[in-house]
This record gives sequence, structure tokens and C-alpha cells, in this order.
Amino acid sequence: MNQITNDSKFKQVIQKLDFTQQREVAALFVEHVLPLSNDERLNRVVKVVRDSNASADELASALRSAKAVTLDSHTRCGSEGKWTDQAGYFVARAATAAATPEAQSKSGGPAWQAAMSSRMAQTSVFIDSEDETPVGTEWQYDILSNYLNS
Amino acid sequence: MTEIEFLNWVRGPGFQMATIIFVAGIVIRIFEILLLGRKNNLAEAKGSEMSSGFKTILTRSVPDASTFKRSTFTIVAGYIFHIGLFVIIFFYAPHILLFKDVIGFGWPALPTPVVDAFAVITIIALLAVLVHRFNNKVLHYLTNFEDLLVWFVTIAPLVTGYIAFHRIGMTAPALLGLHILSVELLMVVFPFTKLMHAFTLFMSRWYNGAISGYRGVQS
Amino acid sequence: MSASLEKGINALKQQVDSTVASFFSSCVHCGMCAEACLFYTETGDPQRTPIYKTEPLRRIWKSEYTLFGRIGKMFGLTKAVDEKLLADWETLVYDSCTLCGRCSMVCPVGIDITLMIRKTREGLAAAGHAPEGLIGATKRAVTIGSPMGVKLPALKAQIAHVEKDTGLTIPLDVEGAEYMLLLSSMEIMNFPEFIEAVARIFKHAGVSWTISSEAFEATNSGIQIGVSDIAAELVQRIVDAAGKLKVKTVISPECGHAYMAIRWDGPNLVGKAFNFKVRHILEVLDELRKDGRLKTTGKEEQRLTYHDPCQIARRGGVIDQPRNLINMISDNFVEMPDTGKMNWCCGAGGGVSSNERADEVRLKVFQRKKDQLDEVMPDAIVSACSNCRIHLEDGLEAYHMDIPLLSLTETIAEHLAEK
Repeated sequence: MNQITNDSKFKQVIQKLDFTQQREVAALFVEHVLPLSNDERLNRVVKVVRDSNASADELASALRSAKAVTLDSHTRCGSEGKWTDQAGYFVARAATAAATPEAQSKSGGPAWQAAMSSRMAQTSVFIDSEDETPVGTEWQYDILSNYLNS
Repeated sequence: MTEIEFLNWVRGPGFQMATIIFVAGIVIRIFEILLLGRKNNLAEAKGSEMSSGFKTILTRSVPDASTFKRSTFTIVAGYIFHIGLFVIIFFYAPHILLFKDVIGFGWPALPTPVVDAFAVITIIALLAVLVHRFNNKVLHYLTNFEDLLVWFVTIAPLVTGYIAFHRIGMTAPALLGLHILSVELLMVVFPFTKLMHAFTLFMSRWYNGAISGYRGVQS
Repeated sequence: MSASLEKGINALKQQVDSTVASFFSSCVHCGMCAEACLFYTETGDPQRTPIYKTEPLRRIWKSEYTLFGRIGKMFGLTKAVDEKLLADWETLVYDSCTLCGRCSMVCPVGIDITLMIRKTREGLAAAGHAPEGLIGATKRAVTIGSPMGVKLPALKAQIAHVEKDTGLTIPLDVEGAEYMLLLSSMEIMNFPEFIEAVARIFKHAGVSWTISSEAFEATNSGIQIGVSDIAAELVQRIVDAAGKLKVKTVISPECGHAYMAIRWDGPNLVGKAFNFKVRHILEVLDELRKDGRLKTTGKEEQRLTYHDPCQIARRGGVIDQPRNLINMISDNFVEMPDTGKMNWCCGAGGGVSSNERADEVRLKVFQRKKDQLDEVMPDAIVSACSNCRIHLEDGLEAYHMDIPLLSLTETIAEHLAEK
């Protein structure tokens, strides 16, 4: 498999995966940024999504959980926004994308959505930090490559 | 004072005083509204103030279906007594004669039995409206002395007019005098109360339509 | 009289004009406004009757601007405005009203009750009786430029992210661009995909646009709290930026009250007509559609309905445009009962969602929207206001309903045809 070095290649490869594979990749992305959220519920969500034997009910419950975390962690209109906390919001959104069933999946599919949201989570932390360098996206290319090679 | 003296008084000085207070009061109230003025709207207009304003004067009389469902009693009872008052005041022969005296011309009257029926219906509607004012949570909360006073001065001419026509209880001159006095009471109270809505509702509906129409919404 | 009370009374006095006088002269206590207000219908609390919320303003009008009222005042017959009244009215005017305007549509004598509640806020705010959350938001808006404290580096980071995802450049500070886009902090923080959607649509349609680094905030906290001076200051920043960049049109994003603030209140706040146009993003998209510059492909299969954000539809005049746009990408669109200019508020705008004290009542009144949705049974709800969106999601979750919320702009972007 050729090394993925840019986003257009990244997107191409993702789109060739079937839905189940995309979901598995999405879960891997979420797992990577889980430390940026302090909501325990997301750990369970990732576990369920990664479990290939999970029933439809369990997945539905995981999705509801992820959505609940998203709502709980968003910054409400007019309140003082803390970007480090907002990272947790984007992790939850990534988890939601990973747990969304095919019919309701947004364009690009769960893997692309989870990739974008997890990037947003990292951007959020960067906004609040003193560090000038934003986190790159190589880690996502690496995860995808490793998944394909395994 | 004899009955005749009473009747002559209410028809003469009483009526004159009431009319002066009525007219002067209304003029003062309307002027003090208009004199306040309002600022020009500097935003880019999406629609016409003028035409929307006038349209709303008419359309606001027709509630939408959902509103009608929620406020059915208020709307129906309100229409009944307003229409009733209108018919009784303006289409009863003796009243038309009074108008002819004051403004110089009259118009065809409705048959008296018809007006009589309207009077009964209107009185019942007004009684129902009062009961509703106390039974309904919102109305009970909002209702104040002025609401009750206005209710009283509105129903009094109807009741006194009805019993005057049917000659119940007292002699004709006394009943008629009482009726005219009750109308004068209404006239005197009018400018100081929410009865002014009879005139200001045109302005308010216009303003509402104008403000909304400026933004491109017909209200 | 305390200094703060005096400020409050003076602020209320400044609000009285011929419209206010006409309106108060016309009220007959019919109570119909209560039945139009979701804060009454879903709580049954008569204090939340819309016209009752304006009592402080009414007393000022009566005692200062009517002959009979002034005479009555001399004899101690007119009710006064005191500290207690203003304090008691805070939860009525801020927690139980979103300035949605439904009461103004229903009043049989034509009172624009919403306008008067907005004016009443001026008095309460001047006397210091505004909710904490709003006071904080307003301070941040004035000092930082955003009620949620979003600074330029944060916006730039989001922009960088969007640029990487799309391969497009987000034009910052481009002089001579035709359109200048404003963004609400809600979008920058919670829905940055909106920026992406706009960038893609504008590239597709060949629109010349920019964002100003000096004035990118659309939300006007001054309007929400009811302090015209602050509202004016926030508008002036946008006016200055638009002038500097020489743009023809300023675009208000998917935020309800922002549109009202800049489109309708803006010039009146700063005392001068704008020399640029103001359009809501939906108006711009609809123009592009009419001009044939917006081409979409494919249709949404799911059953869609549309929630009209109050300040955009009923109070703003943007009612047909979203429907034109939805019809481009859906053959399965059904209106809510009570739709368009009579749609029901989500319950969160006008400062209510910024106010933690109002959380309970906000979720309670969501029942009204739930009832509408139960009649329609949509697969998804489309809307065009970030606050409506998050609050509808919040309400749906609280009531255990599983209906996704879609942003209209983002949905259009998803259906862009290749060019």
C-alpha cells in the first residue's frame, strides 16, 4: 500500500473502504484523541463501536451516549468559551460520527467525519496553549495505513 | 327633582357636559400619542410601511386558525358583543334620530324586534365575558379595577336601554333618563380608560403592520 | 431614589414614543397574547403573559407621558416604578422571553408587545437587573470582541483547519470583495463546519467574499441584554470594517438575533444609514439560486421539516428563501403546523440560553416544539440558526427524541454539483 501523505489521497483511500471498515477506522481516530476529553462515557462508546459483535441496540445506545456527551460539553451561547474544554466537545462529535449508522451518516462517511472532528479537538487544545505549532495530521495517515496493512 | 326635570337635565346640560368631556378627552389622548412622534427607520426597507400598516388594520380582525383554537371564547364573545353594540347604537331608530339631530343626517334603521334580540344576545355575551374574566387564569391575573369599571359602564346602557324600552319597573321618563345618564357616564369615563382602544386600535394596528411590513412580513 | 433606580427610570423614559403610547392606550386585557406565548402555554404561569412583562414601561408611560396620568401622579393615584418592581421583573423579561414576536402577531388591537419587552429590558439593564450570564457575555463582547471570548487567533486556527480540509483559501481582509461574512461565536466554537460550507458554496458560485479580522463577530450581546449604547458600539465595529474593506454587502450568518441586530436595528443604533447592504446567508444563497449560480445535485431521501428561527422569519422577513433552498435538495419536505411567520420559538434565543437560571423553564417550554414535531414526525429538522440548533438538540435529548438537526447552509453545501 502506498504511503498516504496528503488529504486528497487520505480521503480517496477512506472512501474505498466499506462502511464497517470506515467505522473501525473512525473508532481508532477517536481513541487517539480520547485523552482530550474528560467524559468517561466516551470510553464506553469507543469500546462498543470497536466491538464487531455489538448488537444494533448496543450501538444505538452508544450513539445516544455520544450525542448526550456532545450536548453536555458544548459551549453555551454567551458563556466564556474555554477551548481546552471545547476539545472534549469535538472528541464527542468524533465519537458520534463513529457510532452513527450508515443511513444517517454525513457526507464523507464516519471515518472522514471522525478524522475532521478529532483534528478539531487537537486544534482546540492548540488554541488555548502557548505552543505555536499546531498538531499535524500525519498520525491519521499512519493509523489508516496501519489499519490497511493489518 | 321630578322625573321630567331629571330627563330634561340629562338631555340638556348633562349631555352637553358629557360630550365636551368625551370629545376633549379623546382629542387630548390622541394628540398626546401623536405628539411623541417616532424616529425614522434608517435600515434598508424590504417592504412598504404604508400599505402594510393599512392592511394590518383589516387583517388583524381575522385571527389565524391556531390562535382561534386557543382563544375561541375571547374571540367569539368579543365579536358578539362588539357587533351587538354596533348594531344597537347605530341601527336603532331612536338612536338614529339622535344622530340626525347632532350631525345633520340619518340612515335606515333595523326593525326594533331585531335590535331587541341583539340587545339580549349582547347582554348575555357581556355577562359571559365577565364570568370568563374570573374563571380564566390569565384574565383573572390581569383584571383590575379599570376592567371592571369599563365593563360596568358598557353594560349599563344596554340594560337600562332594554328596561326603558320594555318599561320595566319605573315610569317611562325615569327609565329613559336613567338610560341617557348611563350613556353619559360611559362617555365621561371613555377617554380615561381602555375604551380609547376604539380609536387607538387603528393607530396600533397600523404601527404594527408598518413595523413588520418594513421588514417584509405582513402582520 | 437610588442612582441605579434613577438610571433605570431614565432609560425607560427614553423608550417612550408614539408607538409605545398608542400600544399601551389600546390594551384591553383580553389575554390573547398569553395563548400565543410558549412561556405561558407550557407553564400555565399567568405572570408570563406578554403584556404583563411590560408593566415597568407602562407605568412610566402612564405617569410621565399622559396628561391624566401626570395629574393622577400628583394625587398619588398612579403606580410608580420602584426598585422592587424592576428586580421582580428580571425573570419575566429575561428568563421568560426570547423576543420571538408571536404575541405581536396575535394581539387583536395590534400591539407590538415584543418591541415593548425589548424596550423594557433597557430599563432593567440600566438599573442593573440583567442576568449574570448576559452581563458577562456583554462585557466580553465589548472588551474582547466576542461574547464567548473568541479571539482572532482562535478564528484563524479554525480557518486553517477549514482550509486544510477543503483545499480552499478563506479570504481574510480582502479589500474590494463583494461580500463580508460575519460569524457568530457559536459557529466558530461549536459548528466550524459552517465556515467550510460557506467557503465551498462561494467557490462553487464564484462569489467574491472576505472575513474581516477586525470585526468578525455577528452576535450582538447589547441587543440581548437591552443596552442600546453597547449594541451600537458593536454595530459600529462592523460598519468600520465594512467601510475599510469597501464591501458591498455584509452577510449575517446562521444566527437569529444577529440578523435582527445588524439588519434592522443596526443603522438605527448608530444613527446613520449604512452604505452597504445587509443580507442573511439564506438570502444570499437564494439570490445565487435565482441567478443560476448555485447548482445542486441529488436529493435528501429523509422526511424533512423546517424550524423557522424567529428573528429570521417572523421578525426578519426571511421566510420564502429557506423553502426555495430546501426544495432544491428535497422532494420530501413537510411544513410544521403553524409555520412560517407563525412558527413557534425554540425557546432559547434572545439571551435565554446564555442564562443558566433559565435552564429549567427553557427545557420545559420545549414541549411546544415537541408537540409540533409529534404532528409532523420528520426524519430530520432543518434550521438556520446555531442557537436554535443546539437548543433543539438539547430539548430533543431531554425528551428522548432522536431527530437530527441539519443546518440549511451545510446541507446545501453537501449537495453542491461539480462544476
